[in-house]
Amino acid sequence: MTNKVSKWVFWLVLVVILAAYPKLFGLYYTNLFVTFAIFALFSVSFNLLLGYTGLLSFGHAMFFGAGGYGTALALKHIEGLALLPAVLIGLLSAAALALILCPLVVRVSGTAFSMLHLAFGELMHVLALKLRNITGGEDGIGGFPIPPVSIPGIVSIDIRQPENFYYFAVVCLGISLLIIWFFTKTPFGQIQIGVRDNAKRIDYLGFKVPQTKAVVYVVSAAFAGVAGSMYALFQNLISSAALNVLTSFAPITITMIGGVGSFFGPIVGSGIFQVIEELTSRYTEQVELVIGLILILVIMFAPMGFMGAISLLKQTWFPSRTARVALKGAS
Amino acid sequence: MFWKVFIPVVAFAVILGWGLPLAVAADLTKANASFEVNKMGDMSDFDPNKPVIPTGDTIKIALVASFSGPAALVGQIYYISVLWAAHDINKRGGILVDGKKKLVEVIKADHMGKPDQCKKICERMVLQDKVHVLWGTDGSHLMKIINETANKYKVIAHNTASLTDDLQDATNFSRYAFMSSFSTDQIGRGLANYYGQRKKEKKFYILCQDYMFGHAMAAGFKKGLKEFYPEAEIVGEDYHKLFLTDFAPYLTKIKAAGAEVVYTGDWIPDAANLLKQSRQMGITLPFAHIFLDEPNFLHEVGVDGTKGLVQLSQMYTDNPYFKTPEQIKYYKMWNDLWKTKWQAPFNTKLFEHGGGNIGSYNQQTYWLLSVIERAASTDPEKIIKVWEGDTYRFVNGKTLKMRPCDHKAIQDLYVAEFVVPDEQKVDFNIPPHHWFTGCSYAGPSAKIPADKVLPLMDEKLDRCKGKNGWGE
Repeated sequence: MTNKVSKWVFWLVLVVILAAYPKLFGLYYTNLFVTFAIFALFSVSFNLLLGYTGLLSFGHAMFFGAGGYGTALALKHIEGLALLPAVLIGLLSAAALALILCPLVVRVSGTAFSMLHLAFGELMHVLALKLRNITGGEDGIGGFPIPPVSIPGIVSIDIRQPENFYYFAVVCLGISLLIIWFFTKTPFGQIQIGVRDNAKRIDYLGFKVPQTKAVVYVVSAAFAGVAGSMYALFQNLISSAALNVLTSFAPITITMIGGVGSFFGPIVGSGIFQVIEELTSRYTEQVELVIGLILILVIMFAPMGFMGAISLLKQTWFPSRTARVALKGAS
Repeated sequence: MFWKVFIPVVAFAVILGWGLPLAVAADLTKANASFEVNKMGDMSDFDPNKPVIPTGDTIKIALVASFSGPAALVGQIYYISVLWAAHDINKRGGILVDGKKKLVEVIKADHMGKPDQCKKICERMVLQDKVHVLWGTDGSHLMKIINETANKYKVIAHNTASLTDDLQDATNFSRYAFMSSFSTDQIGRGLANYYGQRKKEKKFYILCQDYMFGHAMAAGFKKGLKEFYPEAEIVGEDYHKLFLTDFAPYLTKIKAAGAEVVYTGDWIPDAANLLKQSRQMGITLPFAHIFLDEPNFLHEVGVDGTKGLVQLSQMYTDNPYFKTPEQIKYYKMWNDLWKTKWQAPFNTKLFEHGGGNIGSYNQQTYWLLSVIERAASTDPEKIIKVWEGDTYRFVNGKTLKMRPCDHKAIQDLYVAEFVVPDEQKVDFNIPPHHWFTGCSYAGPSAKIPADKVLPLMDEKLDRCKGKNGWGE
């Protein structure tokens, strides 16, 4: 009962802090939070593959980019398009790309899956550079109109204002995380963990492994697309840089730092990533070097990431009753 | 009787209405302000390796550039150029703004060549560091972000190094953005004008970087050839990705196309790799360019390999380069410090003379500081008022005018052909009578008058409607 109350209090405090955030921290940190939210969603979508299904993708940026380009192109070419359909187009662009790829990629795993995605990711990057008439090449697509969030006759909010964009990003992140959370808690979500741990056993149990992987793959891509769409709207620009290998490595680093397999790991990882980047970039121009070093340290000394380290500390400092009984029995 | 009255009246009206403003506007010999060497502070302690940067209540300039990644050297070039001007002004005691003398603070802002990082760093500069000016940058796509940020938060964006005309067109124009450099259309047309007068080479190959700057450079040159040299032929056209390391496929095509000149807008490190690899492949064609003047890689190629290169620059003037004792004094101030004081990376040949692009960035910064001084304020509205239509004379006697309607600089341009060290004295007219001994460098120069290469003006921009090329 107390546990339940404390959970409600936690969520209430979080909502209050999030609501007051722009006023508390000012415009600059509000914009930083938006970046955090985008990469948190991108990384959570990536973690659906790596953490829950055991598939390491080196090309997740292609879905991020597809979402961004989908939204930007839609807003550029469809006059009067509202914001939410534009975001939906971003989501569908990424999901469509995943649907095209999944017949090929769901039949492989391990190194083959990773390398195949590296190749597809690079292909998409080169295509974005070459199809200059559509994608704007290296310059990208920028300056496209950003419509307000509107409910006809009731409300119209201009998200070009940084504060409004912040609330839009928080709502997008919240809804997306809720959907992904429930997705992982469904029986289907449990099957995907089974695929990660022992695909053969899942197959013997009568579940179709490639089809399971395909569903997870498309869902993961769709939410990476939402993140890409938010990114394009936030920057009012999407360029081929969103599709390059460094963008693909961002969710890998974030998830590793935050904790693979933990739902909240990538969210925490994104926060840590932003803080490290923010602090280091004030003192050195070698931000990527610092992040690389931290990643090495995490892999060597805390392979389960921040969330793994926290649960380890919890077990050490606050061993549960069961654990204590077990310890007693063992002694 | 009617005609006797009518014709003189019309003629008088034409002279007053059109001719007179044109005559006044076309005058780049007078300047509202000029760089005066004799007013400079004591620069003997200037050291870019150990910069003295004031803090507190200062005039803050954010230098938004690549300070990491493949183009990090470009950031260093900008840094020393801006730092020199700031140091000088600080040694003079600062600038009187808003009733108080303030020193100039230069803050490095590394955009790493990435659009998202560029937006983030610009916002940090404006919202946290409270800078008054965003100074940039390498990459027109990144300058666009700088201009947008400046427009959003109402600070001045000073564009000295991104050359695409689109930055100031009807779609992208911002009152807060000033482009004091030359631009792609001017460059392309300027070089076409040069070859049109020379009529020696006829076959041109265009090789540029595959982004808005590269395409704009090519478009300017093609437009210029049609205008000034219609009998010329473009035998090939290619665009490569930024920071390419292997130019062999493009160079093979250039060789096969039978080109006589390669026209390129590539900047470092692409410019260096392109030239070096072409000479390694035995392709000795001349390049027509604006950024192939970096002496370190020119030295790697040597005297023969660099002979015949053609460079259009916004810092060159008529021969010879040194025209006044003040200019020589200024040059020696820089060169002596380079010889005796500066350490790596500022002790390489790139920084020896402080001319070329470095000189241009430096003088453009002095122009900005002069405008702030005359506005007597860091209020962007007051700065805009002074800068629109302003004229400023550089240390080499060259005068620039800021076209009021679209904030683009009007200037005469000069094209120099690179010659062997013995022949460089035509330009470098003080001892040792050459720029460099290990490579060919600027020799005879040709003038492209400002009225032949007025910056492209977008007629769709309301502010420019009905104005002539001088913005009058």
